[in-house]
Amino acid sequence: MISAVYALIAIGFTMIFGVGGVLNLAHGALIMIGAYSFLVVTSGSTLGILSLPTGIGLIVAIAVAAAASYVLYIGLVEHIEENPVITFLATLVVALILSELFVMGFSSSPRTLINLVPGSIHVEQFGVRVTNIEVVGFVVSWIAIGLLWYYVTRTDEGRSILATSMSERGAQLTGVDLPKIKARTWLIAGAFAGLAGVFIGTLQSTSPIMWLDPLALAFIIVVIGGIGSIKGSIVAAYLIGYLETLTVELLGAGFRGTFSLLVLVIVLLVMPQGLFGREWVHE
Amino acid sequence: MSSDTGRLGGPLNSIADGYNDRFGQVFGELNGLQFALIIGSLLVLLLVPVWAPLLGMSGLLRTLALASIWAILAMGWDIQSGYTGYISFGHAVLSGGAAYTTALLIGNVNPDLSLAVTLPLSVLAALTIGLVIAVPSLRLKGPYFSLVTFVAGLIFYQLTYAFSDYTGGELGVRVGRIDFTVGGFEITTFDPVMRYYVMLVPMLLIAVTLLYVARSNVGMIFVAIRENETAVSAAGIDTTKFKIWSFVLSSIPMGIGGWLLAHFYGTVNPLNFLLVDRSIELIAMAVVGGMSSILGPIGGAFLVIVLREEVLRIFGATGRWVMLWTLILLVLVFARDGLFRKLWHYLGRLGSRDGGEN
Repeated sequence: MISAVYALIAIGFTMIFGVGGVLNLAHGALIMIGAYSFLVVTSGSTLGILSLPTGIGLIVAIAVAAAASYVLYIGLVEHIEENPVITFLATLVVALILSELFVMGFSSSPRTLINLVPGSIHVEQFGVRVTNIEVVGFVVSWIAIGLLWYYVTRTDEGRSILATSMSERGAQLTGVDLPKIKARTWLIAGAFAGLAGVFIGTLQSTSPIMWLDPLALAFIIVVIGGIGSIKGSIVAAYLIGYLETLTVELLGAGFRGTFSLLVLVIVLLVMPQGLFGREWVHE
Repeated sequence: MSSDTGRLGGPLNSIADGYNDRFGQVFGELNGLQFALIIGSLLVLLLVPVWAPLLGMSGLLRTLALASIWAILAMGWDIQSGYTGYISFGHAVLSGGAAYTTALLIGNVNPDLSLAVTLPLSVLAALTIGLVIAVPSLRLKGPYFSLVTFVAGLIFYQLTYAFSDYTGGELGVRVGRIDFTVGGFEITTFDPVMRYYVMLVPMLLIAVTLLYVARSNVGMIFVAIRENETAVSAAGIDTTKFKIWSFVLSSIPMGIGGWLLAHFYGTVNPLNFLLVDRSIELIAMAVVGGMSSILGPIGGAFLVIVLREEVLRIFGATGRWVMLWTLILLVLVFARDGLFRKLWHYLGRLGSRDGGEN
């Protein structure tokens, strides 16, 4: 079930890479921003007056993360994106700054988010218990992915994003406003990260180091699925999601990422372009 | 100002020329001012135990010892990532691996193992880990390579918790201090002055060695790989071999640095050795100083460590990190060639103008 949320994260990450050629290492930090915004507006413990219903909290989380992502692009990445190494490093440094700021603001101990939909369903046939939040996370993630799919394949605005990711020059020649498209992509990716943040924050943990694991997962998923491919991200997210659940189940939580890395290495050796990767379209 | 430096530049230039005649071929030519900078900083570093107490900053000895170790690590990163352009984001794994090897040997095998055993084995461990990471990941280029090394760093970090029976999890393993005798004279890192030199001397030796390598044909091939890998392989040079060599060259200082750092703290834990922040700090030092220059990363390391340990303490335990990263971000955006490279070139222009005009 969590795989759908992973797919959300990976899609945001891969879209930014596909369109701008930028690896956004602050993507994990956007997830964190989403989770903490949800915490601030719903819990009532941080700001006494604010204890809004969780549904509004979810929307606030999405909006704040999307805005943060947009500001990050306009304020920083746009000026340095021609140098991939500096961008890589700078976004990572931004993530570290944010992480330390959250330590200052909320202390380093993990916080608990108010459950969006408490309770669980018992599935008699399989003898498993599924919590409602997992079901909701699954459904909401798929709705978001569906909307995105509709947007990039059926509307002109969305198709210009797709076109840019295929060939920047080609898109420019057909009259696509490149900076606008890139900023819009960051906005969408930020919104996805905010949404994912609420679910990750509820299901796993909300702490100033929560940005790391999702980020590592996003990498692994994106590389396995083929960088820039949305379809690949979804398939790989499920692959890694199941693998991770199995590993944690059989070996313990300490090995959570180890096997994903093994799969990553194998994929890199056997097919460096990933499952659904396409050849780089030359600029 | 120009007349001032002109008067100063004359004799300095003649000393520098003497140096250029002997070593210029090997380490690159300098002008008078650049030469003065190098010798000046060398003297300042060698004489820290003399001047630091006079200024009432005895704590500086600890900071600078730490900075020396980080300088080793930053140089180790530089010879691989800075020169070949294959930017590794998981280099703390190499030094961390070496540190943990020492820790495991001392903690689980025999607490009295001498450094003649732990040091070579630790360097070997760094080398092995380096090759394990390098061989599959060097098939990738640019950001993809960085991604994989980054993930490798994360996984290694997690594994120290997974095997906490041996590694002590978050608390780490105690390794104690360095204690050995040279010609009947006991050297121990319990003494702050000796500890400083135990960290500084290897740093200077490694700096000289790496400078030599970087200026040799091997270094030139590394740079050529960074600039245009296709052209290098078209010239009949096996680029994979050289990329792996760069990793080997980098692993050795990383191993030594990791070993020193283990004994500096006296405890090996994930926080001081393997946290992602450490890898990034390493890169930040090299970039702040100036990538692919060997000397730049040394300057960067001293700058970052002095800021972190001394200057930024006024912002509090967490605040100093925020400030440090913010400053690094500013350097990245506005002076991405590195502060010390800027200074170097400024001195270079100043020095050459003296020779010509005055």
